[in-house]
Amino acid sequence: MNGNLKKIIFTLIVVIIVIGLVALYSASYQNIRVPRKIFYGQLVMAILGIGAIWALSYFDYRKFYDMAYILYAVNIIFLIGIFIFGRYALGAKRWIEFFGVNFQPSELMKLSVILVLARYFTDQKPTISFYRQSLKGGFWADLLIPLFLVVFPMLLIFKQPDLGTALLLLGIFVVILYASGISYKYFLGLLVFCAMAVPLLWSVMKPYQKDRLLVFLNPNIDPLGAGYTIIQSKIAVGSGQIFGKGWLAGTQNQLNFLPERHTDFIFSVIGEEWGLIGSFFLLSCFFALIMLGLNVVEQTKEKFGYLAALGIITIFALQVIINIGMVLGLCPIVGLTLPLVSYGKSSFLVFVLMLGFLLNLSRRRTIF
Amino acid sequence: MRLKIIRLVIASFFVVLGLGLIYLQIIQGQHYYNLSVNNRIRVVPIEGIRGRILDRNGIILADTRVSFDVFVVPQELEKEKEMFVFLSKTLDVDQKELEKTYKKKMIAQFVPVAIAQDISRDKAIVLEEHKFRFPGLIIQLGAKRDYPLKSIGAHVLGYVGKMSPSKKIKFKEYGYAIPKITGYSGIEEYYDSFLKGKDGGLQVEVNHRGEQVRLLGMRTPVRGQDMTLTIDSRIQKIAADCISKYIGSIVVLDLDSGEVLGMVNSPSFDPNVFVKASESNKRAKLFSDPKAPMLNRAIGGQYPPGSVFKIPLAIAALDSGKITANSTFSCNGFYSLGRRRFRCSHSHGMQNFTEAIAHSCNVYFYNVGLILGAQKIREFAHLFGLGMRTDIDLPYEEKGLIPDPDNYYKRAKRRWSKGDTLNFSIGQGDVLVTPLQVVNMMATVARDGKEIPPRLLKSAADIKKVQGYLERDINIPKPYFDLVKGGAKAAIADYAGTARVLYMKDLLVMGKTGTAQTSGKKKTHAWFAGFCPETKRKIVFCVFLEHGGSSYNACRVAKELLQSMKKQNIL
Repeated sequence: MNGNLKKIIFTLIVVIIVIGLVALYSASYQNIRVPRKIFYGQLVMAILGIGAIWALSYFDYRKFYDMAYILYAVNIIFLIGIFIFGRYALGAKRWIEFFGVNFQPSELMKLSVILVLARYFTDQKPTISFYRQSLKGGFWADLLIPLFLVVFPMLLIFKQPDLGTALLLLGIFVVILYASGISYKYFLGLLVFCAMAVPLLWSVMKPYQKDRLLVFLNPNIDPLGAGYTIIQSKIAVGSGQIFGKGWLAGTQNQLNFLPERHTDFIFSVIGEEWGLIGSFFLLSCFFALIMLGLNVVEQTKEKFGYLAALGIITIFALQVIINIGMVLGLCPIVGLTLPLVSYGKSSFLVFVLMLGFLLNLSRRRTIF
Repeated sequence: MRLKIIRLVIASFFVVLGLGLIYLQIIQGQHYYNLSVNNRIRVVPIEGIRGRILDRNGIILADTRVSFDVFVVPQELEKEKEMFVFLSKTLDVDQKELEKTYKKKMIAQFVPVAIAQDISRDKAIVLEEHKFRFPGLIIQLGAKRDYPLKSIGAHVLGYVGKMSPSKKIKFKEYGYAIPKITGYSGIEEYYDSFLKGKDGGLQVEVNHRGEQVRLLGMRTPVRGQDMTLTIDSRIQKIAADCISKYIGSIVVLDLDSGEVLGMVNSPSFDPNVFVKASESNKRAKLFSDPKAPMLNRAIGGQYPPGSVFKIPLAIAALDSGKITANSTFSCNGFYSLGRRRFRCSHSHGMQNFTEAIAHSCNVYFYNVGLILGAQKIREFAHLFGLGMRTDIDLPYEEKGLIPDPDNYYKRAKRRWSKGDTLNFSIGQGDVLVTPLQVVNMMATVARDGKEIPPRLLKSAADIKKVQGYLERDINIPKPYFDLVKGGAKAAIADYAGTARVLYMKDLLVMGKTGTAQTSGKKKTHAWFAGFCPETKRKIVFCVFLEHGGSSYNACRVAKELLQSMKKQNIL
């Protein structure tokens, strides 16, 4: 592991953040619906965040190992607290006011789950066992206890309701479990079980969530209601064609046809104004960041760092794939942000923490 | 190993995303680009103002004036309750009523709802001043058709209304199209394409709410043509006044030109009712009224002509040489055919040609009819335009009916009998005509056989002189017409004439009465068709009273009509 990798990753992070700022400036340019102050808020966050990532990379990541269970417990308390003190917005209770700052505990829960799973599996068997595939913990210790650790916050988040983040936690669990070297017997069993749980999930979903899924299958069933967002988003990206309509010149964006264009649908602003060239560039940056991140994971020889970093890359990759997928109409709208690009303080902050952690690993030669 | 699989899975997802981008932005790029253009560009139609309708002296019969309509955009409403309180106070309408119309008419959040239409200018100013307090409240200028003469001559003009809903939906996408106004019945329908202006429009760039961001282009609307009619609104007023107590119609033509000077029906309707949205009750009543006020009886009502029919019969008899002016028949009050007796009004005694017309002797014409034969009568009825459309420039003209003895069986399921010929001879039985056909027939007689189809259009911007109407000469020697006219003159001048009541020292009137029996126990139809050949404006006219009793009533109405016209110096 060398400092070169760290510098490349850091540069990629800065480039992605800057692209996000450029897009956000355009999204808030008309000052209608998306106020200008959002851009300036994000600008401050970006500068502080870049600094924080750099600073965190010098932080001893083993402290995360010590804090894992405490952070998890505190986060669970926040999630429960939401139902009592939570602020109601956009039809969901996701925010909690914390020293005058609105905070979204479900975002932090992503990191907490990663850390707690990484620590749990490390405690189970401290060495990375690539060669002997199975842990000897058995069904109970290998599968059910970690599953419970994930499912409990998942249910709390699902109740908010926030289907996207809840499913994201499940995704992290599956990947970490897989990487922890569980036997294929258990792993495939889990996947089958998840598949069987889908009908159950359908029955407990909110009507608007069902609408989104139905609309994904056919946006034209309700073009002015649930299907509106996806239709407008596809029009925006598609109309950008190869070279885009130019910065601040995207009609879908500037004339307000795109809802949520500063948060979940920021990619459609980029697609419209910068065309295929711009969107491919951003997609490549993300891809490079993820692949280099996996290089970092590969080179990490310590199990906690290994699993935690993998969890971080997983969540990063999943959010990029799902977010861009939903902007392009390739997957249903589940309300996940585009990492580092979308506006959203909690989301941004958590990714800053995660990427700081990753850089920290890339710097260290952690060999036990 | 497992990390490599994870890497592979992630990479393949990115490949899918990349392909998705290529598909959207390159393969479907042009399509989505067009969609994005359609998204932001709207064409807001501006309706071309409908042309006016004027009478022959330039008096306005139908005009388009400015109106103020109140609209509410549901998605922009903020203080809904407060606004309705304010609106009900200003417009003087019950608040609940307003909220009810609002709820009923709401289609979608972004489509403006018409709350009140055609409010007064003062109220519109008050609303305009307070508009800033209530976002979503719109006062829109519109064009409304106005008929200053109200119900007088309404059947000639027709009315305007919104296009049928099925057509409207096409224009309605996003709620921007102004509902198109189109003419219904009368001149409004017949000359709709001339009266209708050419729509212009604004091309505007809009945002997601459809609010205008900037103006991209404009095409100015074109005003429709003004149509000048041959109608004289003074005559319309007089005629409407004369007939108001009856059900029926009056038609007045200019004898020399065939121009329609007056055409009124009773009962009539106020075409303004179709303009105001709030008067839908009145509209519904008009259509369900058993007296059929919407029917233009002058062209759309079909009635047995009664004795008026004797005029073509008389000419037929003279022209075919079956009788001469000196032929006489004896009338003792009825005509016996087998065991049936066909009655006459009186026992007239010996009647010559002139007397027979003047006294309207049925027995005389029974004899004439039998000599002529039904087929010949039919031929002459058609020659004078009875049972045929006059092709006047109005929609929904009816044809009437002249029975065909040779094909009678097909319709009536019995053979044509001699009795039928007798009934036919006095304009009864199956014969049906419209008042316009009768007046047209009378005009042809008055012109000694020259037929000029009646018409309503005098001129329009595009049409300086109305042409293309076929003047036709019926080849019958003038002396025969003189003989018939002698009879028509005697009907008034003779002391025993059926239209004696019309005798005026200073006004020569010729004409023929008619009392037509109708099926059932209803009263008879009353007819008088006549002409004034020596006035400064020669006119020919017809008074028809549906179930109006004896023809005497029609004569009384005709007298009132002529006297009023004389008084106003029209004749």
